[in-house]
Amino acid sequence: MPLDIQAGIKRPKIDMHCHVFKMDNWEKSSDHLVECGEALGITELWCSSIVGGGKIIPPEEICLHNNTILSAMKRHPKRIRGWCFVIPGHYQAALDEIDRCLDAGMIGIKLYNQYWINDPAVFPVIERAVKRKVPILEHAGYPQPKFKAAQPHISHGIHFTEASQRYPEAMLIHAHIAGGGDWEQTVREMRNASPNVYIDVSGSNLDDGMVEFAVQEMGVERILFGTDGTMAGSVGRVLDADLTEEQRERIFWGNAERILAPQGATPTESRF
Amino acid sequence: MLIDINAYIGNLPFRTLRDNTPETLVARLDRSGIQMAAVSSIDALFHRHPYSANEKLFHDLEPHKDRLISIGTINPLSPHWQDDLQDCLKWGMKGIRIFPPYQGFETNGPETKSVANACAQNNIPLFIPNRLEDIRQHHWMDPAKESDLTQIADLISAVPEATIIIPNARAITSSALWKRQDIRNGNWYIDLSLVEIFYRLHTNANTIRDLADLIDDGGANHILFGTNLPLSYAGPALVKHAQLPVDAETLKNISYRTAAKLLNITL
Repeated sequence: MPLDIQAGIKRPKIDMHCHVFKMDNWEKSSDHLVECGEALGITELWCSSIVGGGKIIPPEEICLHNNTILSAMKRHPKRIRGWCFVIPGHYQAALDEIDRCLDAGMIGIKLYNQYWINDPAVFPVIERAVKRKVPILEHAGYPQPKFKAAQPHISHGIHFTEASQRYPEAMLIHAHIAGGGDWEQTVREMRNASPNVYIDVSGSNLDDGMVEFAVQEMGVERILFGTDGTMAGSVGRVLDADLTEEQRERIFWGNAERILAPQGATPTESRF
Repeated sequence: MLIDINAYIGNLPFRTLRDNTPETLVARLDRSGIQMAAVSSIDALFHRHPYSANEKLFHDLEPHKDRLISIGTINPLSPHWQDDLQDCLKWGMKGIRIFPPYQGFETNGPETKSVANACAQNNIPLFIPNRLEDIRQHHWMDPAKESDLTQIADLISAVPEATIIIPNARAITSSALWKRQDIRNGNWYIDLSLVEIFYRLHTNANTIRDLADLIDDGGANHILFGTNLPLSYAGPALVKHAQLPVDAETLKNISYRTAAKLLNITL
């Protein structure tokens, strides 16, 4: 069937992988994000402000990053939802920050590349996520050594599989299948993961077939729509993927709706 | 109408491709609403001497020549590459492609300049993809290097009479292609396959867009439609094409007019 790009752009979508970074004039950044999302049919954007490169910063600085997200949520209450970024090695401070942010309306926990997700330092965070019934989105991928050197603790599929075998009830999301790495490797490594392990389709690599491969390996119910800065590209790869309309609907909307449900949350707008 | 200036047939050593034969590529173009495509051989890039791959490309595309426009591959390190170029012209190929990271020379070096000059003399464009694949996924046999946009800018400056098409590039406005004032109005073109238009990941609120800034600054005439099929999905380019912030005449130029002119195609 020929692609109907215009109809595909208009269909409602939940983008569960976005950022509003702590910066001067974050307001402009968040306004632009929302505007670009609306032009692609994205009704809500789940955002975090992270610190990359494996860098460890003090807990009080992390609060400032999360405060940016809380402010963006207030500025765009119908559009922006928040991931609470923490560094698990801060232990109690990280758990306190999770509670603060979730109590203020965020819907999940964001981890970056400070720790592999199966590191024991992360266990208390996963346990808190289970207790609060929220998902964890962790930066992940299987990059070649040259790119891995800058982030030696980036998680890939096997780390998610191991973490999920310890905590099968935890909703763990492998970020960006297209984030720049061997996507076949990292997806195949999750073949034996818990059914509560997901992957999102965000990222700048537009390799043909990657969405179908993830669906084939993991099942469509475990694939989430996200962009992470590649907005038109991510919409286009899902529209072009060889999927049924029901499968596409699950990726664009239904799966995100489902992972919100345990905490009693629903999409900010009705699908229909 | 759409002319895709960035398509291939053949095999990539590092992963299995679909829709990589003339027949299946045409079917994919049909599904994508694309009427014609400029097609190169992936295999030719990995051959030390691509003349046989060019001949195969010619024969493979011949039954589909109303849809698939053949683009030859040259390796300037191969003896008598000038003869290979003449063969490509004899077969009616409408452009030449090189990919220095796989072929082992510098994009702004003497070999590239020789090919660019030869293409200019024969009034055909030179295609230099910025990349075939995302280099972060790397196979051990893959040098995992991109054609450097700064070096391509050097080439454009050194051989201004050549037409250089740079498929699969991104971050155009922050590259030397756009920052160097001396080549802003040069004969270079990028495509829609990889670059985003309205949004780019940013930590500075002053750099929040990509191609939209190029268009606002008067650079729309450098844009062509291209997908990178079958290495990439066509959908991303189609979504961006649907969103281009340009007037109707400029949209026609981007969609097919400029490509037809560069490829010397009568529509």
